[in-house]
Amino acid sequence: MNASGPQESAQPNRLAGAGLIDRIRPLSFQFDGKRYTGFDGDTLASALLAAGVRLVGRSFKYHRPRGILTAGSEEPNALVELRSGSRREANTRATVVELFEGLEARSQNRWPSLALDVGAVNSLFAPIFVAGFYYKTFMWPAVLWEKLYEPVIRRAAGLGRASTEADPDTYEKAYAFCDVLIIGAGPAGLAAALSTARSGARVILCDEDFLLGGRLNGERYEIDGVSGPAWTRQVEAELRASPETRILRRTTVFGVYDGGMSGTHTFAALQRVSDHLAIPPAHQPRQRLWRIIAQRTVLAAGALERPIVFGGNDRPGVMMASAVRTYVNRFGVIPGRHAALFTTSDDGWKTAFDLAAAGVRLAAIIDARSVVAPVLTEEAKRLDTRVFCGAQVVDAHGSRALERITVREDAGRLSQLQIDTLAVSGGWNPNVALCTHLGGRPRWSDAIAAFVPGDVPRGMAVVGAAAGSFSLKDALREGAAAGAAAAEATGFKSVKHREPRVTDELTAVVPLWCVSESKTKAFVDFQHDVTREDVALAAREGFSSVELLKRYTTLGMATDQGKTSSLNGHAIMAALTERAIPELGTTTSRPPYTPVALAAFAGVHRGKHFKPTRLTSGHAWAEGRGATFMESGEWLRAQWFAAPGETDWLTIITREVRAVRSGVGVCDVSTLGKIDIQGEDAAAFLDRVYINLFSTLPIGKVRYGLMLREDGLVLDDGTSARLAPQQYLMSTTTANAAKVMRHLEHARQVLWPELDVQIVSVTEQWAQYAIAGPNARRLLERLLGDAIDVSNAAFPYLACAEFSWRGVTARLFRISFSGELAYELAVPARYGDAAIRAIMSAGEDFGITPYGIEALGAMRIEKGHVTGNELNGTTTAADLGLGRMMSKKKDFIGRVLARRAGLADANRAALVGIKPTDKSARLYAGAHFLTLGAEVSLQNDQGYVTSVAFSPMLGHWIGLGLLVRGQERLGERIRAHSPIRGGDVDVEVVASVFFDPEGARLQS
Amino acid sequence: MADDTLTARAPFTDLAFSSTPYGGVVVADRDGLALAAVLVRKGCLAALTARVRERFGIELPRGPRRIAAGTVAFAGLGPATWLASSEERGNAFALTLKEAVGDTASVADQSSGYAMLRLTGAKLRETLAKVLPIDLHPRAFAPGDVASTTASHIGATLWRLEDSAEGLPVFEIAVFRSLAGSFWDTLTHSAAEFGFVTRETIS
Repeated sequence: MNASGPQESAQPNRLAGAGLIDRIRPLSFQFDGKRYTGFDGDTLASALLAAGVRLVGRSFKYHRPRGILTAGSEEPNALVELRSGSRREANTRATVVELFEGLEARSQNRWPSLALDVGAVNSLFAPIFVAGFYYKTFMWPAVLWEKLYEPVIRRAAGLGRASTEADPDTYEKAYAFCDVLIIGAGPAGLAAALSTARSGARVILCDEDFLLGGRLNGERYEIDGVSGPAWTRQVEAELRASPETRILRRTTVFGVYDGGMSGTHTFAALQRVSDHLAIPPAHQPRQRLWRIIAQRTVLAAGALERPIVFGGNDRPGVMMASAVRTYVNRFGVIPGRHAALFTTSDDGWKTAFDLAAAGVRLAAIIDARSVVAPVLTEEAKRLDTRVFCGAQVVDAHGSRALERITVREDAGRLSQLQIDTLAVSGGWNPNVALCTHLGGRPRWSDAIAAFVPGDVPRGMAVVGAAAGSFSLKDALREGAAAGAAAAEATGFKSVKHREPRVTDELTAVVPLWCVSESKTKAFVDFQHDVTREDVALAAREGFSSVELLKRYTTLGMATDQGKTSSLNGHAIMAALTERAIPELGTTTSRPPYTPVALAAFAGVHRGKHFKPTRLTSGHAWAEGRGATFMESGEWLRAQWFAAPGETDWLTIITREVRAVRSGVGVCDVSTLGKIDIQGEDAAAFLDRVYINLFSTLPIGKVRYGLMLREDGLVLDDGTSARLAPQQYLMSTTTANAAKVMRHLEHARQVLWPELDVQIVSVTEQWAQYAIAGPNARRLLERLLGDAIDVSNAAFPYLACAEFSWRGVTARLFRISFSGELAYELAVPARYGDAAIRAIMSAGEDFGITPYGIEALGAMRIEKGHVTGNELNGTTTAADLGLGRMMSKKKDFIGRVLARRAGLADANRAALVGIKPTDKSARLYAGAHFLTLGAEVSLQNDQGYVTSVAFSPMLGHWIGLGLLVRGQERLGERIRAHSPIRGGDVDVEVVASVFFDPEGARLQS
Repeated sequence: MADDTLTARAPFTDLAFSSTPYGGVVVADRDGLALAAVLVRKGCLAALTARVRERFGIELPRGPRRIAAGTVAFAGLGPATWLASSEERGNAFALTLKEAVGDTASVADQSSGYAMLRLTGAKLRETLAKVLPIDLHPRAFAPGDVASTTASHIGATLWRLEDSAEGLPVFEIAVFRSLAGSFWDTLTHSAAEFGFVTRETIS
């Protein structure tokens, strides 16, 4: 038996001995439920081809049978659903899926089966599915759009199905920094990596493949007397031994992002850490998204071979010539027994010679060029292979796979060849995608009939096939030179090394974009089923610019982004409209280069990890008390504390409010912003940021303050305490803490750098608890003992003090949000847990009740205190009834613009209270005010409800709102209309303070 | 009411985690370290520098550097801001500092404001590459270097200490105390594949 002939086995197309696969590690897998065997080192595509499977999918629009076209990430046809259940993944390219034991894949877009697909009748209706059919065929009647046309089209034209279950795997992000990033580990990239690594520079070498080597793995090159793969392993070993070199295999650099004049850029790369495993091992992510910050870049991304557009060029069995070589040389697989070559390039001839070396004699070599280098034709003659020069493949025929081709010979004679495999080479397109992500335009090269890098990002060098240099010799030389230059540019000394010895090769090409005499459908874009006729139609209808062509025909808009199709489409359009290709231009390529799963972008930020969570130091205690928590910005705060048996939130809140107002309660208020303000000019600083005076505030006192934005609207409110002559402690609302800090920093650093003011956030330093209710003082007397005198005389309303308590520095403020006799006790957060337990213990005899922010909210509405709902960025101090706080004795931020006509208008909406006329009616926040009897219309809008609560003290719903000329309308009956929540309630306008309007309780 | 003292609760309490195969990353909670923000008063940099030198034997760093002497260290966090730390436990450090700097700087106790970890391990840099968007390569971030950055959307301040006796890198990272749990989740998730263990102390 011929050692290199096909084996008779379950892998009929596997060659003995050849390839970079591990034959002692067979792997079993399933495709469409049928069991097959491949080897470690196979892709799903190579294993399917080895098993003789040619039909792997149906096309997007016409459901045409499709096979495997390429051996790389540009594959437009062989898209499959990979894995099952919660790991099912749609549209994975069989050409890059690494085979693993137990792999399961299914073909897509077919029903009931791949071989018998009823959707293929779409082909019969092809005339209505031409370019632009969405816009033409289904225009009328419009009522059928959503109900009929769209669902039918969506089902018929489609890709695979993603899993609807939660993804059980993890994804993560990582950052990497390097002096030189090398993209692509083919010969050019490896040469670049060697010269940079030897200089000592930090190098990252990325390749999307699981083997380094690029085309060296698919060709029969010799470098320095050893095979391409052997040379690759030598280089890899040296790079692995280099301490500053990192090799990222299975990693696609898919985008170039910000960077600057220095040449440093940020790159995004996807590393498929576990995609080659059935299930990732514990703690190993499936994929990792890298952000790589590189000072210099060597782009060695290679080139993509382009198809030729001719009739039936999508038949399974029609493959790229380079892919055929890859399957033969790298995987030891011959795609078919009866093969021919259709080429317009010297490079294509390698496929004929490699197949011959593997024991497969070609039926014919069909070269569209009339004149071909004699060295090629002589070799063909030696191999006894028929050669047709100046000939073209007009049509490829077959039902589910290629069966024969029609060849038009030089003299015009048509002949038929019975073959099952046609290798096609239309020349190579340099892979310029990453040169263009920052807006660079590629440049047309007549020499290679393709676009080459034009203006590339600063700091990036493009080498080898990506630069249009297709010979191995050029790739190695350019790579080594660019690597050395990049190392020098980043401050390293490059080491000269000998250029490797390689054989010369021929790289001539004469483009043939399309075969004009084809009788059958000739595909330009395989994945989107765009044909030559579609491009012609677009030309006829005037959609002749590349951007319009793309959108009208969907050319290049599939998940492969036109890698094998765009240039062919543009060239056909150029010919049809009698323009040169560079004149027509090309479409813009944007990241990502290949599809990236959304999960990779999300990384670890899923579910409750979507954003960080902030917990107060009393959190564990509140949890132990059975608190229900709610989000307040990043914080979790206790919403309420349900007692055993309590299920209704209103019952719980009512109990909590009554307990506070009749006894004593405690609430964790640690989340409020706390800013330490010190310096000789601290008082002057506060006078300028608040509308009211703080320089007059005595030491040991607290004052309520309101601050405006520069535009005169309210920014935030809160209290500030004067702890020392030159030290204040400002409190902010929880929501605005960061915003206020930014505002103050801006004021300090930019507006008034002459002031001596130092500010620092101490929010996290202090745990703070509000202790409120008639028994608050008695509780504190018991809790604090001799540490501080809390009697009304010694510590009246708005007093504050810092003192030592149980070995820690504590602070006490007599302030009240609830309207009760209340204090806020602060201790360093390390002692926050101990403090709340001590408060609870001291309050036990008083029936202390912990309360959450719902009860706090109800009490503040009863007191008419404003909060975020009213400080909503549209209100002025006057709107909130606080206009008189604006000091006339000083300047402050917002003072001038607060007097603008629009903000000083008497017709503005002002804060009022509302209560329902029918005491049993419920109020809704967001309801709009209308005068009674007025029609519901925008013109009649009188303002809106900002906050509502059920008042446990009054026994009915109450609310705050902003009502046009509200302060003049107390006593008026109006309507609160909420079309969204369905409420439409008659309400009475009342003063905004519902409970204890004299404030007797908080002074007591 | 008994006048018992308050018991401190460490920010990383109850946040246990360990993963095999081995301790690629080792962490210790630095709870109890005394911390204070020091912000220089207008025109007082020279005076503050002199006082810090005199009192603590430390040359106040300019820029993002940390300088330690004995049990005290000063880390530069901004143009006029330092985070001072002291190994001496208790909350007297801020008072000591206040007295030492007098009216040349404003001092605010931050001993409770931060949750801090000391980290080491053969896989520490690989782990931190998933957490921090900055370059921690030995050439780019030397012992004594300080950075304020974000750790997976969490504000973080870190510095590098001298390598351990085994030649492993040692870092300290501080985050706001309330974010200790979220930071712990991020860190342990990132370290899990390398093995993660906690220790009482790392010297």
